Amino acid sequence: MNARGVAAWSATCLFIALSTSNPAYKALVLAATLSSLAASAGLRRIRGWLTAVILIATFATLLNFLSAHLGATVLFELPPQIPALGGPYTVEAVTFGFTAGITIAAAILSAAPFSLLLASHEVVDALPAALSRTGTAITASLNLVPAVATSFTQVTEAQRLRGWRPRGPRSWSEILVPVVLSTIEGSIQLAESMEARGFGSGPRTAARPTRMQRSDWLLVAVSALALGLFAISRTTGWAADWLPYPTLAAPAIDPRPLAACVLLFAPVLLWRSGR
Amino acid sequence: MAIGSLANLTYWYPGSREPALSDVSTLLDDGLTVIAGPSGGGKSTLLRVLNGLVPHFHGGRIAGGARVLGLDVIRTPTRDLARSVGFVFQDPELQTVYSTVDREVAFGLENIGVPTRMIAGRVEEALQAAGIGHLVGRTVRTLSGGERQRVALASSIAMRPQLVVLDEPTSQLDPDGAALVLATATRLVDEGLAVIISEHRLDRLLKAAAGLVLVGGGRVERADPAIWRPPSAAGPSRRMSAPGSETWSLEGATAGFNGQPVVEDVNLNGRAGEVVVLNGPNGGGKTTLLRLIAGGLAPLAGRVQRRPGRIAYLPQNPIAVLHRPTLRAEVRLTLDRSGDHELPEEILNALGLLHVADRYPRDLSTGERQRAALAAVLPGTPTMALLDEPTRGMDVAARDALVSLVTRLRERGAAIVLATHDSDLTLALADRIAYVANGRVFERVVETVQP
Repeated sequence: MNARGVAAWSATCLFIALSTSNPAYKALVLAATLSSLAASAGLRRIRGWLTAVILIATFATLLNFLSAHLGATVLFELPPQIPALGGPYTVEAVTFGFTAGITIAAAILSAAPFSLLLASHEVVDALPAALSRTGTAITASLNLVPAVATSFTQVTEAQRLRGWRPRGPRSWSEILVPVVLSTIEGSIQLAESMEARGFGSGPRTAARPTRMQRSDWLLVAVSALALGLFAISRTTGWAADWLPYPTLAAPAIDPRPLAACVLLFAPVLLWRSGR
Repeated sequence: MAIGSLANLTYWYPGSREPALSDVSTLLDDGLTVIAGPSGGGKSTLLRVLNGLVPHFHGGRIAGGARVLGLDVIRTPTRDLARSVGFVFQDPELQTVYSTVDREVAFGLENIGVPTRMIAGRVEEALQAAGIGHLVGRTVRTLSGGERQRVALASSIAMRPQLVVLDEPTSQLDPDGAALVLATATRLVDEGLAVIISEHRLDRLLKAAAGLVLVGGGRVERADPAIWRPPSAAGPSRRMSAPGSETWSLEGATAGFNGQPVVEDVNLNGRAGEVVVLNGPNGGGKTTLLRLIAGGLAPLAGRVQRRPGRIAYLPQNPIAVLHRPTLRAEVRLTLDRSGDHELPEEILNALGLLHVADRYPRDLSTGERQRAALAAVLPGTPTMALLDEPTRGMDVAARDALVSLVTRLRERGAAIVLATHDSDLTLALADRIAYVANGRVFERVVETVQP
């Protein structure tokens, strides 16, 4: 699996999920990302990601349901005198919120292969020479992300034993300040180490230049086809927009953008056989 | 032959009124040079001058001159000096960019544009020189601390520098890991490299050293490594009273993460006024055991019992406890919470930190931070004191101060557990030693220290 192939597929998924308001196509992108990750990484490894996207999608749905008092199909109503919460609660609002949730989930899972399936150096190696310095710096920073979780555990444990208890938002400064500062200090130390090894001294070379396999080229081609087909569908109106307001109606589905979305399932075959 | 010279060099960190190095003039010779001195004295700053991290990376003000291998440090950026001067930092975990050993070692070569066809050979050569040829292809996070530090060393020497600088490279390693790193460093000297190393474990190094530079209070002086002797550590502390009743116990306790045990079926206890030392290699389970005793980690099986009362816990990463604007405020916070009637100045004085009481704790040197964290958790009279690698980065004087402090706590009836590699600290304080390795615990009593 080559990072360039993954990037082509991820970019197409993101383009489709973010460029249309039609929930049918968004849901297909979500299904494609989910099944591709499940086929390559396995359900066990993506469990954490699934939990995160379900929580985010639920939050988006609830937020819109509670805050957008629009739509014709009223489920119940709170007195309008209640600030922010007062007004009608509608099926249209919950549907719109759910669509937003699907969009966020699809976008997150589109980028997940970079973390789940590729090592940081594979991403750096795949970057064009002009971006190699930035890429290395970003990758090095990403290596510190697990350190934040470790630091949070360490600090919370140490401060609890020192008598800290969560008492309102201000009390969390005792945890967050050391966590943030430790992470920043870790980043500075890493930057110091990179500088001491000549990072930024001139054009970089690569220990192992990346080579695209046939399956990588195939994925790039399929992704390009899906991207082109969906872009044309957007321009011509085949991929029609959808809005649940004022009255909920089923989204229009056209076979051409639908086919573009179906092409995104290609990694289910390519990545399964490739790993 | 001199490989470097400093002439009237004075350096101030950004925002600091006091210089970290003050009017330093010295020559640095070929071969092995040892840098010694108290923590917070300016050793790390001096070393960072040699590859230009000071002033180019850290900023601040600099006066005077510094030349290394014929290059003017103040005019040459670190990234260019890196071709001639390799650098290994204290913490092996915070200097890793890539996830695999060979890619990590190749990082510097890629940065300086070594052609792709030559990189594999240079990586192999460096790994062999560091004595870790067998680690090719391994994932960095699966390595021990000693192995990681030698990967950092290999990463440096892959760039074929003429000088390698090591900043307390063994401060976080067990004795075996430390011995391997130091042996590798001295072997590099035999192969013709100049090596400058700052260390607290000096005995073996001094025998091989061609030069010795003493750094303290920002000032520098040369000494003869054949004559100079490091201050000796305190001997065993005298016990004034016998240990009291049981304060904590583990019965068939197993602990770990995600259901995977790190330590298994441990039976161990500690009494009031007793010091139990957890010894063993990096990654053997000492910290897990300490967290289990502290209550930071729930047992997967078995029982953990503790007498009610305050637990003073120093984590492996000391800065996890430091968040107040001054060190004095850190100590006061603990005293206010515990209700102990003691002045913050008492423990600050005991640990030699009174002069930095009003400074921001995170601005202190590594060794001073370690003492600051101890001062933050240990004031008053805790029921239990659990300290994870408490002497990390400490000089002999600071270690002796810690021995006195722990002895005082022991006499006040605190049950103390130390997880440490430090044999001098173990010798000075241990009533019982539990050796923790591969998830198992083997206990022995230190008979000479029993009352």
